[in-house]
Amino acid sequence: MDYYLYAWIFSVKKIPKAQKSGYVILTVVSIAYIVLFFVNSHKTYLALMESFDILKMIAPIILIVFFIMAMLNSSIDSKAISKHLGEDSGIKGWMIALIGGILSHGPGYVWYPMLQELRNKGAKDGLVVAFIYARSIKLPWLPVMISYFGVYFTILLSIYVILGAFIQGIIINKLQNRF
Amino acid sequence: MILKLKKASISTLQTLKTIAPMLFGIIGLVGLFKTFITPEMLHSLFNGSAFHDILVGTATGGVSVGQPFISYIIGGEFLKEGVSPYGVTAFILSFVTLGVVQLPLEFSIFGARFTLIRNILSIIFAILISWITTYTLGFFQ
Repeated sequence: MDYYLYAWIFSVKKIPKAQKSGYVILTVVSIAYIVLFFVNSHKTYLALMESFDILKMIAPIILIVFFIMAMLNSSIDSKAISKHLGEDSGIKGWMIALIGGILSHGPGYVWYPMLQELRNKGAKDGLVVAFIYARSIKLPWLPVMISYFGVYFTILLSIYVILGAFIQGIIINKLQNRF
Repeated sequence: MILKLKKASISTLQTLKTIAPMLFGIIGLVGLFKTFITPEMLHSLFNGSAFHDILVGTATGGVSVGQPFISYIIGGEFLKEGVSPYGVTAFILSFVTLGVVQLPLEFSIFGARFTLIRNILSIIFAILISWITTYTLGFFQ
């Protein structure tokens, strides 16, 4: 067996803090399901099915995100990251963050590990925040929004969201530099 | 190069292993919220005044979960039933930008300071953007 894989599977390292709090949440949610099952078994069953549907939906996205992360880890070094997304990234950095946010697919939390990886490698916090906020523009859903609220509303909201993402990024960068 | 990629894949798997329990927990929580919090429950909180509805819209959008188009459908129903456009805009905006359910995950990945500041900014901007969007829309209608 491959040494690295072997080392990973049998690693007896201390459980990371993030993983510990994960087990706490998982336990709390499991208890909630058990309690709610006695209160309303039908609805709880529906909730469980709903969760499985979500899992099915995000599984391919998780694969893509982790593939990107593996590529980032192996081929792009911190220097390149800080050049494109770091202190001196300028307009290009903002464009990458905003457009990347708009194009990124699926629920936001799926992207968090990759974003944290980028932060560790020197990406500015402001750009990460701009990415997360720009994610509220969902290109595939825009036609649906237009059908419900009209073209003007959709265009205005999208423009303000992009502006908002940019301003929030600037605020975060200012705060980051101060503390 | 191949060794590097292998190393990187292992470290990525390590990350996946670290966040897996949290991810499963959050997905379970999302399922519960989707099933137990109904649009009728949310609607009863609005009262038609712009300021009140913006705050309620931000809060209810923050605790609701689901695909973005669900917020459009619920928001469309709210509009029909007399909730102010300010409140509806705040609802659909905070539906996608705020996630009370995923806070523990965000917290454990990004750390307390980043999560706190980001979410406070999101709340402020949900209020600001919903107000300015509805206000500007008035000029086009």
